[in-house]
Amino acid sequence: MALANVDIEEYIGEVIESSTSQFVAESRELNGAPPFGAFVKTGGVIPVYGLVYNVCTHSIEPNRRATAYGLTEQELRDEQPQIFELLKTEFEAVIVGYGDDRGPRQMLPPQPPGIHRFVLPCAEFEVKALTNNGDFLRCVLSGNRLPADDLIIASVRHAWAARAFDMPYLVGIGKDLCRLIRDDYDRLSSIMRRISQ
Amino acid sequence: MNELWNDLNGRPIKDLNNGQIGVVTKGSLTEGVEMKLNPDRSVEDVKAGKFVVIEGYKNQFFSMITDLSLDATNPDILLYPPHDGDQLLHSVLNGASTYVTVALRPMLMLEAGEEVVDEPRPVKTIPSHFSKVVEAEEEDVSRVFGSEDRDDRFFNMGTPLDMDTPVCLNLNRFVERSNGIFGKTGTGKSFLTRLVLCGMIKKKKAVNLIFDMHNEYGFQAMKEGNSGDSFVKGLKQLFGNQVALFSLDPASSRQRGIQPDHEVHIAYDQIAVEDVVALQDELQLNPTASESAYLVAAMYKNKWLRQLLSVEGPDVEKFAEEIGANKSSLSALHRKLKRIEGFPFMVTKLDGADAVDTMMDYIERGIHIVLEFGRQTSMLAYLLVANILSRRIHEQYVKKSEQYYASQNPADKPKQLVITIEEAHKFLNPTTAKQTIFGTIAREMRKYYVSLLVVDQRPSGIDEEVLSQLGTKITALLNDEKDIQSVLTGVSNASGLRSVLASLDSKQQALMFGHAVPMPVVIRTRNYDEEFYRAMGDLTEEEKVVKAEAASAALFGD
Repeated sequence: MALANVDIEEYIGEVIESSTSQFVAESRELNGAPPFGAFVKTGGVIPVYGLVYNVCTHSIEPNRRATAYGLTEQELRDEQPQIFELLKTEFEAVIVGYGDDRGPRQMLPPQPPGIHRFVLPCAEFEVKALTNNGDFLRCVLSGNRLPADDLIIASVRHAWAARAFDMPYLVGIGKDLCRLIRDDYDRLSSIMRRISQ
Repeated sequence: MNELWNDLNGRPIKDLNNGQIGVVTKGSLTEGVEMKLNPDRSVEDVKAGKFVVIEGYKNQFFSMITDLSLDATNPDILLYPPHDGDQLLHSVLNGASTYVTVALRPMLMLEAGEEVVDEPRPVKTIPSHFSKVVEAEEEDVSRVFGSEDRDDRFFNMGTPLDMDTPVCLNLNRFVERSNGIFGKTGTGKSFLTRLVLCGMIKKKKAVNLIFDMHNEYGFQAMKEGNSGDSFVKGLKQLFGNQVALFSLDPASSRQRGIQPDHEVHIAYDQIAVEDVVALQDELQLNPTASESAYLVAAMYKNKWLRQLLSVEGPDVEKFAEEIGANKSSLSALHRKLKRIEGFPFMVTKLDGADAVDTMMDYIERGIHIVLEFGRQTSMLAYLLVANILSRRIHEQYVKKSEQYYASQNPADKPKQLVITIEEAHKFLNPTTAKQTIFGTIAREMRKYYVSLLVVDQRPSGIDEEVLSQLGTKITALLNDEKDIQSVLTGVSNASGLRSVLASLDSKQQALMFGHAVPMPVVIRTRNYDEEFYRAMGDLTEEEKVVKAEAASAALFGD
């Protein structure tokens, strides 16, 4: 099922770095990045699906760092609006799948997403397709430099919300997780506890 | 919210998975097969003795659940079990890290669509990994055990655990061998016996001779119940003219409101030495005393007992010298046999027909006989009478069988006779089994058309050889390890049945296994109530009137 044309009005970011297993995008608005653990996709004929694992805000110039002014945000916007032009928010996402004519697939894409492609939030059906079983957890657990436990908690909560907090789904995902980290019962119980909080 | 958790934690959701309860994970032919219970099934719904079907690739394996166990993949889970309120973790672990293993014993193998006719095929192979295990359904039960509609030889004995389909006994195969009904006191052996007897009478598979020690089978008997005691109908009431009541104690019978068809008397001359030898244990005779009896018989032939009992006091010793017997053992013999004189049914000379001749006459006509003992409930009376009558009947049967073998004329074929005895361990304990007629009958199987129905609460007291000759055993709850072991003598794959036997309910549940059922099965016995009476053809008063009116209208016109 080919994606409908990208609606430029809705995009939330633009890809600035990309590789087969992850991409970095600059968010359209400062502090307007998709939430940690959210599912996003890049536009284009072959959308690439990612799971946001890091959001950071810093100065656009690598050598200059922001400094403290001691003013509230409203006062800053009134008195020093230009400093906001010098900051940008970026988010990094680990790739969890891509879409072809049969819908979202939980595999790494043949080609990484193109630079400057727009990034949009995933629709509900896409989130459900990507989180249908526990396979996406395997991606999270095997990634490097990922905050695995917290990412699992956040992504499962998003997937759960997409299903209107259906309890049997949560139990099913819990069982898949259990198989993946069966040796570490403490870790499993901590994660399950925090998911359902 | 709580209900949701209950469903997730294993309250069975019947619509899911079409009644599948698990998949086969491990197993061997000798030790049975193991399956992992589906997480959506509660372990408490799976009971030992339940009947399930393993759907293999080519065959269906009809199996019984013999054992259940709980396992966990990680010992840490057992050290830090989830809190009481932590339902989510509990559900997550259920089936994934903690699981239930159920041990199954395949008993019977059938190809798809096949039905059991007479000989079931033994299990020669096992199902493959991950074969589906489903609960047995009605069709499965009637495929394996037959149904009353299908054929006349099947008789409904009850239903399997947690199901409503009738489980049938193959009566043709039942009467081919001697059989046993066992169970602790109070577990319902008498009801099981009544069921089986009614089956044989209704379907006319054999003629029954019942030695009714406690006056339970002939006319009505007391039933223990929650709502006070009530009465259940006896064989005479259910089957009318097809059953004849003989009584050893007519006065007692009449006092209970029954008019016996015949009174039984026994003449002293009818007692042979073998009959006394059968009483060895009961009378505590040592072997020399029995030898002495033989010596008396050698001299006086069939008047030996009368002669022995007629001497008194010091004459006994002189008598001993005469025949060359040991004095003290003969005195002991004399003293103990004196008790026989006290029985009111013993007579010097018979007037009227010989009881055995009358019985044979009835048996030949296909009429069943219940012999009541009235107040003569002493073990001695029971043993003596049962032995004498059975021995003589057996003699006659041997003659008739041999006549039939010679002539091959179907008209000469003797009717299959089933003799029911209670307290069988008194007749068939290892010492007496070799010497009494009942041991002989049990060993002969169907050669002379006589077989036994043995009812007992102490099977460990019965000789092992006899136990292994019993074709079908119907067992209610047994506690004693020795009893359980004896009942399972000679049964293949007994280990699984052992745990099932020990887990039976104390009332109205029994395990049937052996020749007459294709595979062992636990049943909830059929209720012995109005519905049963009607099924046996007994009509209520109104129905009898209607029937009589219809009959007279047919005969005489309106």
